[in-house]
Amino acid sequence: MKVVKIKEDNCVYCHLCEVACIVEHSQSKDIIKAFKREERPIARCSVEFNYPVSLSVMCRHCDDAPCIEACQNGSMHRDERGYVVVNPDTCVGCWMCIMACPYGVIKRDTRREVFGLSTKCDLCPDREIPACVEACPNEALTYEEL
Amino acid sequence: MRIVIVGNSVAAINAIEAIREKDKISSITVISDENYRAYSHPLLPNLVIGEVSRSEERFYYRRQKFYEEFKVETILGKRVVKILPKQKAVKLDNAQKIEYDKLLLAVGGNPVKPPIDGLELEGVHTLTNIKAADKLRKDLKNINRVVVVGAGLIGSKIAEKLAKKGKKVVLVELARRVLFPVLDDEAANLIHKELKKLGVELILNDSVVAVDGDKRVKSVKLKSGKTIDADGCIVAVGVAPNAQLAKDANLEVNRGVVVNDFMQTSNEDIFAAGDVAEAYDLVLGQKRPIPILPLAAAQGRIAGLNMLSLGVKYRGGFASNSISIGDVSFISMGIVDSDELEVLKIKKDGEYRKFLIDEDNRLKGMILVGNIEKAGMFHWMIKNRFDVSWIKDTFLNSDFGWKYFNKAFRVLRLDRKIK
Ligand SMILES: Cc1cc2nc3c(=O)[nH]c(=O)nc-3n(C[C@H](O)[C@H](O)[C@H](O)COP(=O)(O)OP(=O)(O)OC[C@H]3O[C@@H](n4cnc5c(N)ncnc54)[C@H](O)[C@@H]3O)c2cc1C
Ligand code: SF4
Ligand code: SF4
Ligand code: SF4
Repeated sequence: MKVVKIKEDNCVYCHLCEVACIVEHSQSKDIIKAFKREERPIARCSVEFNYPVSLSVMCRHCDDAPCIEACQNGSMHRDERGYVVVNPDTCVGCWMCIMACPYGVIKRDTRREVFGLSTKCDLCPDREIPACVEACPNEALTYEEL
Repeated sequence: MRIVIVGNSVAAINAIEAIREKDKISSITVISDENYRAYSHPLLPNLVIGEVSRSEERFYYRRQKFYEEFKVETILGKRVVKILPKQKAVKLDNAQKIEYDKLLLAVGGNPVKPPIDGLELEGVHTLTNIKAADKLRKDLKNINRVVVVGAGLIGSKIAEKLAKKGKKVVLVELARRVLFPVLDDEAANLIHKELKKLGVELILNDSVVAVDGDKRVKSVKLKSGKTIDADGCIVAVGVAPNAQLAKDANLEVNRGVVVNDFMQTSNEDIFAAGDVAEAYDLVLGQKRPIPILPLAAAQGRIAGLNMLSLGVKYRGGFASNSISIGDVSFISMGIVDSDELEVLKIKKDGEYRKFLIDEDNRLKGMILVGNIEKAGMFHWMIKNRFDVSWIKDTFLNSDFGWKYFNKAFRVLRLDRKIK
């Protein structure tokens, strides 16, 4: 199964992957609208920096996905492609997936009224090449078989 | 092969999924005394106050078509009253017998009934299944002032929810803090504050000795001599493994049903998983029941695979909890309070971080409050007995992350080369 491979030596801390991920998950998929006019989505990848280290980290789509095992109502599940995604309509923001994810890549969206929403990389289901991979100017992210 | 599963919840569903990954042919029969498809027990407090309803998919553990898709025969609303190991069959409450080749006991736990007078009065409730939740929900109109007995996960959660609903809630806890085994004083104090903000009256270091009333509860008497007027009482002092069936069948039972590394009971054709079982706690290094959902799921999965004789070992698990009360989120796991272990901790505006490390530099437990997003990385370290000597100095940083790891290790891990 192809996932996003992280090549930290090429990463220059430009955050373009985060920008691309936000745009991809926005309503309009338009950068200006996504950042200025709509409710801005949360980036599914995070760039970390600790001089001279920098790298973008997102879900590794584990074979044994501990996040799925921890989910209390099946919101975290494997889609038809085999990638691990969360169902936003059923997630109750209990953060049990966060408690279990060994890569620490699930984020919290607490903007909904009653239930929070767990937010993670869905490997861009509408695309052939994930948005972050396409946006990275230095091939610090590539889409390949690990 | 005929596979029969008693219980239809987390452990059962995960066993079914594991079995069907490998075996499309064997018949699977699930028997439960509850008349519903598998649902989310942690959402019961939300169900009580109407934050979720039974018609919402969100309330269930799997989607509507699950049993059909996984070719599972369901016998719902029937109780298994006896296991007949010699005949390899189970007997139902309507005297029907169901034969098995492999049997899984996934019957969960029962609410603990403390030795208190008056528990049979109207207005006294527990909250471990839909039936109890429905009963409480219907009774809410009669309840203005409620005493919640026990400040564990269930007690604290329902106290919070009922207070949000505008009920006067008194939460009584025997220990000196809420969620005693799961939090330390510092973290528990933060929950105390959140509960007080919501108007919950908290009584610690005290216990309920009697519930009084004629037909319906009128007041609750505490050990300290105090009397609290109340028209409702929720008993939430814990769950105990539902091990009676196993006991009657002469299976080995301690507090829970004893299982080996393959989730197999003392009878080789009978397996047990979830809240009913006593599986290996890899932090404490002993077998004991740990009644939490992720472990029921993991054990169910392992049991399912081993009913197909695949010989997959359960590595063990440990207590871990994610709790949100009011506006604050908490994640804790493993050992959270100790005089023997090295303790690293920091507290600053809205954030609390604590780590407990043994003399071999292995992480044994932790608490995160507020900033919880990397919690699972510590879960991995505990589970894999990871040597933290070179990285523990960074644990207290709010921006803890992959950047602090050694490069070679980080690359291998992120490439999924180290599990
Ligand atoms: C209110 C509440 C909140 C919770 N919150 C959390 C939380 O936040 N995090 C967490 O990790 N865990 C939580 N838990 C615990 C979690 O729900 C359990 O660990 C989990 O449900 C255990 O699953 P199980 O499959 O072992 O058994 P159970 O879910 O207990 O299911 C057992 C099933 O077997 C049936 N059964 C029993 N005996 C028989 C019989 N003789 N014949 C037929 N059927 C039988 C029962 O009716 C039941 O349907 C909570 C539990 C409750 C009640
Ligand atoms: S969210 Fe975490 S646990 Fe789940 S598949 Fe991704 S990396 Fe694995
Ligand atoms: S936060 Fe949502 S996806 Fe995560 S475990 Fe809870 S319900 Fe499942
Ligand atoms: S693959 Fe898609 S969802 Fe995942 S981090 Fe990259 S852009 Fe975001």
